[in-house]
Amino acid sequence: MRPFLLKLGATALTLGATLASSLYVTAHLKNPSAPLQPTVLASQQGGSVGGVTITPGVRRGDVQPVTSTYAS
Amino acid sequence: MTRSQLLQGEFWVRELGTRITRFSDHSELALLNGAEGEWVDVSAEMECLLREALRAYELSAGLVNAAVLPSMLAIGYTRSLTAGASTAKLDDARPAPRLPDVLSLQRGRARLELGCGVDLGGIAKGWMADRLAARLGPNALANLGGDLRANGPGPHGDGWPVGFAGVTVMLRDQGAATSSVRRRRWGDLHHLIDPRTGLPSRSGLEEVSVVAATGCDAEVVAKTALLLGPGLATAYCAAHAQAWWLS
Repeated sequence: MRPFLLKLGATALTLGATLASSLYVTAHLKNPSAPLQPTVLASQQGGSVGGVTITPGVRRGDVQPVTSTYAS
Repeated sequence: MTRSQLLQGEFWVRELGTRITRFSDHSELALLNGAEGEWVDVSAEMECLLREALRAYELSAGLVNAAVLPSMLAIGYTRSLTAGASTAKLDDARPAPRLPDVLSLQRGRARLELGCGVDLGGIAKGWMADRLAARLGPNALANLGGDLRANGPGPHGDGWPVGFAGVTVMLRDQGAATSSVRRRRWGDLHHLIDPRTGLPSRSGLEEVSVVAATGCDAEVVAKTALLLGPGLATAYCAAHAQAWWLS
């Protein structure tokens, strides 16, 4: 009798965990307040300037450049 | 930074340039390309560059592929373009083989499969800019033909001001590069080979500028984005670059 109870308990536990997981996933299928990647966030906040996209990792300056990257 | 350091840096660039050029029959790269499937001894710098070529292949999902040399020769890019391109034989152009399949590396030795060749022009400038900046000291900027690396706080402590697609960005421990098909053109052809076709890229993009963690990464990301074309370039840059400009 005892092994049968153990099997029954394990089965019930598995089914319960499966049911709880599916309910949780269904309830959190889309989370509109989930944080965005920094790059996406920057472009939504106007990080794209004149065709140039600049993420928060790069700072713009207003001084004369000492050199430039150009096509070669 | 002293004048002596600058001269030593210039010497290092020129000396390494003579070893990795494919336009000389006696360069280290030419010996590797002409080894007909045999193992050849390579210098530490060449070994690093070849490993970087393999890394670039992985980073670009195969689009930055140093094994495009046969296509480069087929389109007539057989010598420095200051001497003009030679006659193109486009029928000889083929999709490039997977670089990891044809390039084997051991410590101090390298081997290319018979009939294969590599061109390091796609990554060498960025890689050299990274190393040159490191050689020049903790607060230095090295720009090799548009591929650059800025180390340290710059002249006034707020980064190195660099012109980037019409704006100024302050770079600090970062690299930048531009990949373009607007230069090094002759007729309908240009130097940027799409390894999937073995022919010059016609992706719809002509120029891409990128800021990334290093000069070499910037060069690889810019080239990959240009080859991907306008549909995918933005997503790729968003994943791999810190700033970008597509044209």
